[in-house]
Parts: sequence; C-alpha cells; structure tokens
Amino acid sequence: MSISVNGQSRVPPGFRFHPTEEELLNYYLTKKVACEKIDLDVIRDVDLNKLEPWDIQEKCRIGSTPQNDWYFFSHKDKKYPTGTRTNRATAAGFWKATGRDKVICTSFKRIGMRKTLVFYKGRAPHGQKSDWIMHEYRLDDHCSDNNTTSSNVSCTVGEGGAQEDGWVVCRVFKKKNHHKALDSPNTSSSINNSEVVKTQVVHSSSDGALDQILQYMGRSCKQENENFNTNNNTHSSTNNNAWRYLLPIDTALGSTLHERFMKLPALESPITAEYPDNSSGSQTSYPPDGLQAVVNMCSGEFQTDQGLNDWAALDRLVASHLNGSESEASKHDLSCFDDTGYDYQSGGDGDLWSFRHGSH
Amino acid sequence: MYGIKKGAKSKRLRHTHVISKQGFRFFPSDEELVVHFLYCKAAHLPCQPDIIPTLDLYHCDPWELNGKALQGDNKWYFFTRRTEHRVSADGYWTPIGDDEPVTSRNANVGLKKTLVYYMGEPPVGIKTNWIMHEYHLLDTNACTSSSNSTRRSSKKSGQQRFDANKWAICRVFDTSSGSQTSLNDEGMELSCLDEVFLSLDDYDEVSFPN
Repeated sequence: MSISVNGQSRVPPGFRFHPTEEELLNYYLTKKVACEKIDLDVIRDVDLNKLEPWDIQEKCRIGSTPQNDWYFFSHKDKKYPTGTRTNRATAAGFWKATGRDKVICTSFKRIGMRKTLVFYKGRAPHGQKSDWIMHEYRLDDHCSDNNTTSSNVSCTVGEGGAQEDGWVVCRVFKKKNHHKALDSPNTSSSINNSEVVKTQVVHSSSDGALDQILQYMGRSCKQENENFNTNNNTHSSTNNNAWRYLLPIDTALGSTLHERFMKLPALESPITAEYPDNSSGSQTSYPPDGLQAVVNMCSGEFQTDQGLNDWAALDRLVASHLNGSESEASKHDLSCFDDTGYDYQSGGDGDLWSFRHGSH
Repeated sequence: MYGIKKGAKSKRLRHTHVISKQGFRFFPSDEELVVHFLYCKAAHLPCQPDIIPTLDLYHCDPWELNGKALQGDNKWYFFTRRTEHRVSADGYWTPIGDDEPVTSRNANVGLKKTLVYYMGEPPVGIKTNWIMHEYHLLDTNACTSSSNSTRRSSKKSGQQRFDANKWAICRVFDTSSGSQTSLNDEGMELSCLDEVFLSLDDYDEVSFPN
C-alpha cells in the first residue's frame, strides 16, 4: 500500500481530500477499474465484509488531519454464488440499502450511480440502525449490482463479465442528527415522524419525491399490503394498482399521514401554497430553497408564522436588504476583473490553479 | 501594487505539483492556519507549500480578493499586517463576538477574531454578508514547544527575527454564497429524500394490525 495512506502524509498542510462525486467516478474509480496508476493513491482497497464502520476511520485515514468522511475501494462480493445480490455483511452487522439509487451526472453526461446504505448492528431482520452511512458509487457501464429493483437501469443480469470489474468506490460518514430537532423532545411517536416526512416531502418536491416515496413504499410494503387485503374484506373489492400504493401508507403510517399526503398540493405548485398552512410548525426549520436567502438575510427578523404568502412582498424585502450593498458590490466585482496589475489566478501557476478551477 | 510581494510567485511555483491532485481542496483548520502558515510567516521560515499571498487588506474590499488571495472552497486566504484600523475603500470591518483561542496540542497558540464587513462610513455603515476570520499569534513566549524549537534553531543561525505581532492571517467569505458548508457537507449530507427513505425504513419493523 502506498505510503501516502495511513499516517504518512504527503498531503500538504491545509489541504483535505474532498473529492466531488464526479472526481470519485471519473478519476478514481475509472482508473481503478482500468488498472491505471492513480497519482496520489489515497483511496485504499478494503474488504467490506471484514471491516466494521468504526474501524474505517483508522484504516482509511489520509494524512494526519482530522476527517469527517472516509473513502475506500471495495470489490463487490456476491451473496450467493448463483445470484446477483451483493453481500455487505460484517462480523458485527450489515449494510442495508435505503431509497433508490441516484444517477450521477456531469453537466452533459450520465457517469454513474450512487447507492445509499445504512449500517445496522446485528443480523437481519433484527438489526439496530446506526448513524453510519455509506455512499457506494459505481460506474454506469457495469451494472453488476442488480440488488436494486430499479427498473430503469438496463443491465445484463448475471453476466459473468460484469462481475470481474465489480469495483465500487465508497464514502463513509456519520449522519448528522440535526433532523431530530424537528421532533418534540423525548418523543418518537409516529405522528412526529410523519411530520418530518411531510416537511421533507414538501421541500424535495422537485425530485418528484412523492412519486418515488409512493413507489418505494409500495415496494417495501407489498407483502403487508397483500396480507392486508386478504384480511380486510372491505378493501377486497378495490384490489387494484392504485390501492397497492395507497394502502401501505394507510397501514404503515396510520390514517393521519394518509390524510396529509392527500392534502399535499400538486408538486409543481408554489411552495407558498403549503407554507402558510402552518399546522405543524415544523416547517419553520426547513425553509425551501427560495426562502433560504431571505431567511439568511433577515436572520432573526423573519418568522414563517407571520404568514409570508405574498411573493411580491418577499421580493421587496430582499430588495430592500440588498439595496445599496449589492449594486455596489457587483460594480466592484466587474472592475476587479478588469484589473491586470497582478493576475494571481492565472499565468504560470500551472497545476495549482487548474486544480482550483476543478472545485465547484 | 496591491501589496503582494513580487517574487513570491516563483517560490509558489515550486510547490504546485504537490497539490494538483484530484479531489484535494485547500480547507485549512484554525490550527493549521496559525501553527503552520502564520507561525512560519512571523518567523521568516520557509512555508511549505508557500501558497498564501500577502495583501494589504485595507486597500481591498472583500469582493476584490478574487484573483488576489488564495481561494479554497469560495473562501479567500491571505496574510496581512496587523492593525486595529480595518478600513477599506468602500467600508470597514467590525469585530463581532468574542475572540476565540486557537489551540494546538492543548496549548493556546493564537487568537481568532471574527469580523463583519460594513459598507460605508463608520459607524453608520450597512452590514453585509462578508465575514472575516482574522488569526493572530499569541505573544512569542506562549508558543508551542515545537514552535519554540523551530525558533531556537532559527535563532542559532543568527539571521532571523520573530514578528509575532506583525502579521495576521485572514479567511474571508460571503455567507450568502453558501460557501460555509459546501465543502464540509458535500456528499456528506443526506438528501431530504434519503432522510425520508431512512425514516420509512423504520416502519419495516412496525407490526401491522390484523
């Protein structure tokens, strides 16, 4: 293993390994799969089945600086010799996939997929969920992992060749628990959780979130749904695809949440339509993107429960705060680029500054 | 013309190869800024990598730092001479909050001041989103043992001085640009959707009424 890993630092002071998803896929994993030399070989190979998440920090340390996330390559190991599922069990627990895989794109092209996994201590199905999260990145070309039921990924199932380059690059970190602030203290009843769900559904509406959640729940609760239907004659006459999606919510989360889902506005509608309906109060912690800037600007003066239902008023508010400062700022910004007195950013600094351009 | 020492550029060039690596970003801790960069500056020691320029901050408005100061994660880093008179062409910096100690190996090695930029004339300027962290060294006799040994060896050579009070190192950023968290959290935050799925996973273990 390279001496740049594990304490022996060749990383200059002040620098951190914080690759973008594009760098992980297009540089590190691409080179790994192609067996090409990686210049600064800081991502080491790990046998996921032999490594507990709490040992990763030691094993995957880069240099001597404190880290909040750790990276490694892993070669996917099949759960069953004839199957295509991946074995992600360790001695103390297992990694369980959550949600659906995310497509990773550059500005112009799809480059890979990201799977999110959570570490559970113990053995399935009785594991205890931990705060350890793993993002597992794989290149788009080799779909060796058919663990996902995602139907829009076209793969050749069980193709032998695909397994040979079953390398993935993983980022492991501990989940920050700031979302718990949404819950009332010392309670974790389902009604509080459903408030969280509701809030997040509202703010991730651009992802077609509700659609995905419904599909996900439809999938994960399919078994229960079928049981439910056989046990409840009242619903037997409506056993069609629509109920397949709706019933799991009803059974899993209770009718309260069901009603809340039903009350959600169309996903494309302005968030203000939902916002003044401040029945839970939990939204205040999570202003949607459009409001974030306003909240930042007004830091403290702004309370959502004052009922901001007028975008024009918001615009005026922003404008009044920006007035004077931003117009001046943009003027100076432009003049700054005209300055040719000393161009620190370009001209002969070579690699260092091309490196900077790579950051977003 | 902006207080950058000419000639420093050629020195910087030597180190560019070290850091031109995929995935590495300049994201120094408080301790690194003080112990590594500021100490070396004050002790006239060679700094590896020598990438942080020296500016006359108080001739620069914060939005003029782009292209002059070292940029990392939408923050700008530079050395400047210490002063209590922090006025630039279009505004001024005012300290907010208490100074924080910067520690290294359980010893205080420096002070971190936080300042906010106001447009206009003091004291009636308009507050902006520009924030500066300004780091000072503590007095010379309060440095860490490792720093002391470095200083001693440089004293032995008989040609160096130590200017603890002469220099500050600064980190300037615009809070409204979202740069505060972008590097810290990139890829490390779960998306809202992920959080929803995570919370839904909890219901896998819910027992259903029959």
